[in-house]
Amino acid sequence: MKHKILVVDDSYYMRVVLKNLLSDAGHEIVGEAGTGEEALKLSESKDPDLIMLDLILPDTTGLEVLKVIHAKKPDQHVIIVSAVGQDMVVEEALENGADAYIVKPFNEENVLQVIGEVMSNAKS
Amino acid sequence: MKDREQEYRELFIAEALHEWDEMNRHIVELEKFPEDEQFLSEIFRLLHNMKANAKAIGFNTISELSHKLETIFSLIRTNEIEFKEPISSVLFKGIDMLGNMLRNIDDENALIPDESILKLLDDIISEKEIKSDHRSVLKNYAPSKVSLSDLIYIQVKKLDELMNLVGELIIDRDRIASIAERNEDIELRHVSSHLERVTKDLQTGIMDARLVNMGNLFNKIPKIIRDISKEENKLIDLSVTGQDIQIDRNILQKITDAVLHILRNAIAHGIEKPEERIKRNKPEMGSLEITAHSDKDIVIIEVRDDGNGIDVEKVKKHAVSGNFISADRVNDLNEKEALSFIFEPGFSLSDKITEVSGRGVGLDIVKNTVDSIGGKVEVISRFGKGTTFRLILPNSIALTGALLFEVLKVPYAIPLIHIESVSRIPTSHLHFVGKSAFIEIEKETIPVLYLREFFNSGIYRVSELVVDGDLTQNLIIVSYNNRKLGLIADALIRQQEIVVKPLQNPIADIDLYSGVTVLGTGEVCLVLDVPSMSRQFSIKRNPVELNENI
Repeated sequence: MKHKILVVDDSYYMRVVLKNLLSDAGHEIVGEAGTGEEALKLSESKDPDLIMLDLILPDTTGLEVLKVIHAKKPDQHVIIVSAVGQDMVVEEALENGADAYIVKPFNEENVLQVIGEVMSNAKS
Repeated sequence: MKDREQEYRELFIAEALHEWDEMNRHIVELEKFPEDEQFLSEIFRLLHNMKANAKAIGFNTISELSHKLETIFSLIRTNEIEFKEPISSVLFKGIDMLGNMLRNIDDENALIPDESILKLLDDIISEKEIKSDHRSVLKNYAPSKVSLSDLIYIQVKKLDELMNLVGELIIDRDRIASIAERNEDIELRHVSSHLERVTKDLQTGIMDARLVNMGNLFNKIPKIIRDISKEENKLIDLSVTGQDIQIDRNILQKITDAVLHILRNAIAHGIEKPEERIKRNKPEMGSLEITAHSDKDIVIIEVRDDGNGIDVEKVKKHAVSGNFISADRVNDLNEKEALSFIFEPGFSLSDKITEVSGRGVGLDIVKNTVDSIGGKVEVISRFGKGTTFRLILPNSIALTGALLFEVLKVPYAIPLIHIESVSRIPTSHLHFVGKSAFIEIEKETIPVLYLREFFNSGIYRVSELVVDGDLTQNLIIVSYNNRKLGLIADALIRQQEIVVKPLQNPIADIDLYSGVTVLGTGEVCLVLDVPSMSRQFSIKRNPVELNENI
């Protein structure tokens, strides 16, 4: 299944890695953002099926972005991709409606698998 | 070969060095304003990225050091540690050491962190303070001199602008040279010859700056081939060579889709399914070779498969049924001529059009793309044995080698890439069929255009050549899509590098000319569009009927 994905990460390196991984797997990258502000803008204009969202951003946190997005579009699929691995943060993200949480550095196969699971649940 | 791992590594280092500079800027500010949350959170964010990215790429010691520093800064943010001496000095040392590791990332020794600094960082994390002052014994990792990156990024657009300016300069240079000649001005000649050297070096320099490795495209191919072959259930033994060949970045960009199209075709329609290959006594795995090599100013890309090849008879049949040629003429075509139909718009060999497209569908686009940059595409195919597509491309976009010639005292140019040969032939070698002329060269009958007639059809006639013309003629054989066309010019002037400028309105729509150039004499010289001429005059596959209205 091919999905329209928005990649949000403040590291250019990490965005390139994610974009390559996702587009090689056949997904379409509809946009990339390095700040929360850009992320919000693109989530509206590009209407992605899925947002890969980093937590620590220069202007805000991924959690704040997640809340704003869900307030406007409650069924937006979001997977958090962050190097922050504390249980508390993971729980908070999931409680706020993230579909999944991937801890950086990630295993590439694993990322694709999580996307597959999140998006197939979405259909049913 | 620059593979993806190498690319990621370079990306990581470039970003990490930049972030390290940022970090230093912020920590200096933080020393002045220890309470400032903004500086703290930025330093924390940068270390956090450094930790994650370094770990992802396998620089574990960098990741661990960043992690320790990140932890301390997060403790400062939560007010568990105060940013002040002696802790702040240890943090400065830690960040200096991080910078030293990043700057010397290829040196294994530099990647081994200084245990005494790590120990102090650990102490800060666990004890929230440093008991004794170790600062004086710590090694200094601060860079001894300021170094700026040796690499800069530059937008292709800026290089395009520079290249255009060089084009203008060359036109003026040639004009100065011809003024110097005309006036026999020795001093101006000296200036002019110096100017010529300088512009040449400038031009080479800018062209050089625009070159990129073919690897930029070729390194993406294995993954693409893997995916297509899976979709198509084919087994492919891929070989890619020539990654180091250099080519203009814009040319590479333009031909990328064309190359991918040819590759898709080769797998979808060339290489047979494994079971079919076994039946045909071929290895189960189809061979697909992609090579690039360069020869002077051109780059040749070849895509060779050992698949089914193209059935020339089928091509002829489709050419007739698709009204590309009449049934009685199709059999006169040689194999090469017949194969060239696959590049015609709307020509298809596929009975049903699949997603990946039939062999032929889209090849006209491949051809258009290659034409638009002054290149050529050739196909060689042996039915049952395989197909080779060859793209012959200029390695640089701005200057075109051209032959200048004269018709009725007016200069014209033809890009060398379209010229097969130039010769002086006895007029008696021309054959006439009705109003058209032909010449036989190596058993091939080539239609010949008498350019005087072509440009002034009301006054001149090719048939006059025999009656009262010269005994010999200047014949330029041009070729396009395997179709040759002879042109008879009044005189050949010389070979020259020209800057082709697009035609402007209102004459931009005349498709006989691909553009215009200004010669050293200041004369405007039209550049003939060989693809368009050959479409008009040899698509009918002879006999050539000159349109009276031209």
